[in-house]
Amino acid sequence: MRILGRFGILFSLTLLVLAIFSFALAYLFPGDVLTNLTGIIPQNDAHRELLIQKHRLDEAYFFQFVHYLSEMLQGNWGYSFVSGLSLKEEIGLALPATIELAFYAMFIAIVIGLPVGCYAGLKSYTAADYSINSVSMVGYSFPVFWLALLFILLFSLELNIAPLSGRISLLFDVPDKTGFILIDILLADNIDTSLALRDAFHHLLLPTLALSVISTASMIRMTRRSVIDVLNRPYITAARSRGLSRWQTFSRHILRNALLPVLPLLAIQITSLITNAMIVETLFSWPGIGSWLIQAIYQRDYPALRVGMLAVATVVIMLTITIDLFNRLIDPSRDKYERATV
Amino acid sequence: MPMLDIKNLTLEIETAGTRVKALDKVNLTINSGEIRALVGESGSGKSLIVSAISGALPQKFHLTADRMSWKGKSLLSMPTEERRQLMRRDIAVVFQNPGSALDPSATLGEQLEESIPDELVEGKWFWQRRQSRRKSAISTVHKVGIKHHRHYLSAYPHQIPTDISQKFMLAMALISQPKLLIADDPTRGMETTTKTQVLKLLTRLNQTKSLSILFISHDLLAISSMCHSMTVLYCGQTVESGRMKMLRKRPLHPYTKALLDSAPSFQNDLPPKSLLPTLDGTIPSLKHVPIGCRLGPRCPRAQRDCVITPAVRRIHDHTYSCHFPLHMEKL
Ligand SMILES: Nc1ncnc2c1ncn2[C@@H]1O[C@H](COP(=O)(O)OP(=O)(O)OP(=O)(O)O)[C@@H](O)[C@H]1O
Ligand code: SF4
Ligand SMILES: [Mg+2]
Repeated sequence: MRILGRFGILFSLTLLVLAIFSFALAYLFPGDVLTNLTGIIPQNDAHRELLIQKHRLDEAYFFQFVHYLSEMLQGNWGYSFVSGLSLKEEIGLALPATIELAFYAMFIAIVIGLPVGCYAGLKSYTAADYSINSVSMVGYSFPVFWLALLFILLFSLELNIAPLSGRISLLFDVPDKTGFILIDILLADNIDTSLALRDAFHHLLLPTLALSVISTASMIRMTRRSVIDVLNRPYITAARSRGLSRWQTFSRHILRNALLPVLPLLAIQITSLITNAMIVETLFSWPGIGSWLIQAIYQRDYPALRVGMLAVATVVIMLTITIDLFNRLIDPSRDKYERATV
Repeated sequence: MPMLDIKNLTLEIETAGTRVKALDKVNLTINSGEIRALVGESGSGKSLIVSAISGALPQKFHLTADRMSWKGKSLLSMPTEERRQLMRRDIAVVFQNPGSALDPSATLGEQLEESIPDELVEGKWFWQRRQSRRKSAISTVHKVGIKHHRHYLSAYPHQIPTDISQKFMLAMALISQPKLLIADDPTRGMETTTKTQVLKLLTRLNQTKSLSILFISHDLLAISSMCHSMTVLYCGQTVESGRMKMLRKRPLHPYTKALLDSAPSFQNDLPPKSLLPTLDGTIPSLKHVPIGCRLGPRCPRAQRDCVITPAVRRIHDHTYSCHFPLHMEKL
């Protein structure tokens, strides 16, 4: 369990650095530090004095930061100074929507990308491999916003088979419990579940597709490369010369060894996946953290920007570290006590 | 009829646009119940022969042979599935580098148990079969001289020392109860007691189970004590082949003589990757193979005729390829 401790320390240190950075942003952004930090515009001098006292802005930077940190940890993330709402609530609504989108795209990437990548790797340098490879290359090189626009143009405006924007039609009043629309629909009791699900799927279709094209393509490429690598190893030759059948060689020796190096690559992919998700959701007006942050930028909502960035970074780091930890735990050939890295 | 019969095996490797013959008309036969040694300096192509027999050559190698047969059946024209069954049941191979021939992500026990052909597993239900697998794994591991089976069967390859993994490779080869064992340098770097143990095991299996063995080694002492016959390879050509006694008493080929002389009274091993003390120069690299007899530039007896590849000549079951063999005066 030393390894858990190591990853824990790594995680907290990274978060600490991020927190320092976000705290510093309050000073770096233009405008009033107090407003940047709290999101509250003081009514008069007395109010201002009170707020400064409350947030210890009259003390040394170090104590300001310690106070800031404890506030963040308690969930007092400040207020958006445009809407005046609690940032915690707003982010609590927006972030799960993004994660949901990214999760489905990742799911598709794994379900389609892995088998296709394996197939291409096993048939390496044949016609089938070349065609899979070129298709995935093309898919990989599309800019995601262009792809999303193309889908909107084609499927929403021309063919009219999928809605243009949003998560679910306004007819359904889905109470927000988990932030994940499909789960919320299943939990809601006052609506027609199957109809609502159908509608939600329709809304999900295009953004997920746009997002998953790129993830799937890179998944295929990573898996293929890895399978080809493993095929050239002497232990595969040795396994074959022991007379194992193709299927036995694949399932017992090739698959596991090929997937082990793919997992950490997957962790790296998560960053670009979340970024892409944020782009896609702006185009589809998906109420996720991406469009929320863009709104914040337009409106110069500095507190929102600060906390939003911190939240996104935390999620990304958390996922990355979890995958890396998982990989470390299941890979028998790696030393469990190697240093943890992000 | 020999069990494994290889005639004029030629292997061409494509390097930088040109084809070189890494193996040039190699002949090798192994009779049933025989231990045959395959010797030659490092880089003479011994491991390539092993790969050729086990069908483990990369695509870019071009293999041709006048004959390459197992019990009269041609290996070259055999359907893939039959060849696979043959490798599963009858021929077992111990590759040269035990470390890289083991899957790093599976335990040694798993890899050992999967090498057992289904016919050798007893029981009808899967738990019975699992037990039977486990039992034969443990007994084979003991047989090759690994004591702590509990520890090693659940270990991963990177956790075990080299000599244990060498023994494990041997166990994986022997567990399918093959008729022919091809062992490529199975005792390299082992300490003397361990080595003796392994060699004794092989000799015993040969005597009790009439296991045929193709034994590849640099250890001439071990070879001369356990092998019945020997094939000498130089730079991809078989230079001499015959019964061990004959070859030791009266080698006909200058290379065989140099090789035997290099291990005075067979006390020291011929250290791998070293020059032969009794022969000038080194084995040529594949890019610069001499024409004709490949030993030419290093041979003390070489004459002008040697630029023509010498044909294989035969005296009883003793074959050699040399224009000016030794000891011929006395015959
Ligand atoms: N994959 C390959 N590609 C190109 N050349 C190769 C390849 N494998 C082997 N060779 C060449 O073939 C020749 C024979 O190699 P091989 O490994 O069979 O020697 P060896 O007799 O087994 O030597 P050692 O005693 O060191 O094991 C060498 O010159 C080597 O460079
Ligand atoms: S053929 Fe000539 S060069 Fe070759 S071994 Fe015989 S004497 Fe030496
Ligand atoms: Mg070798």
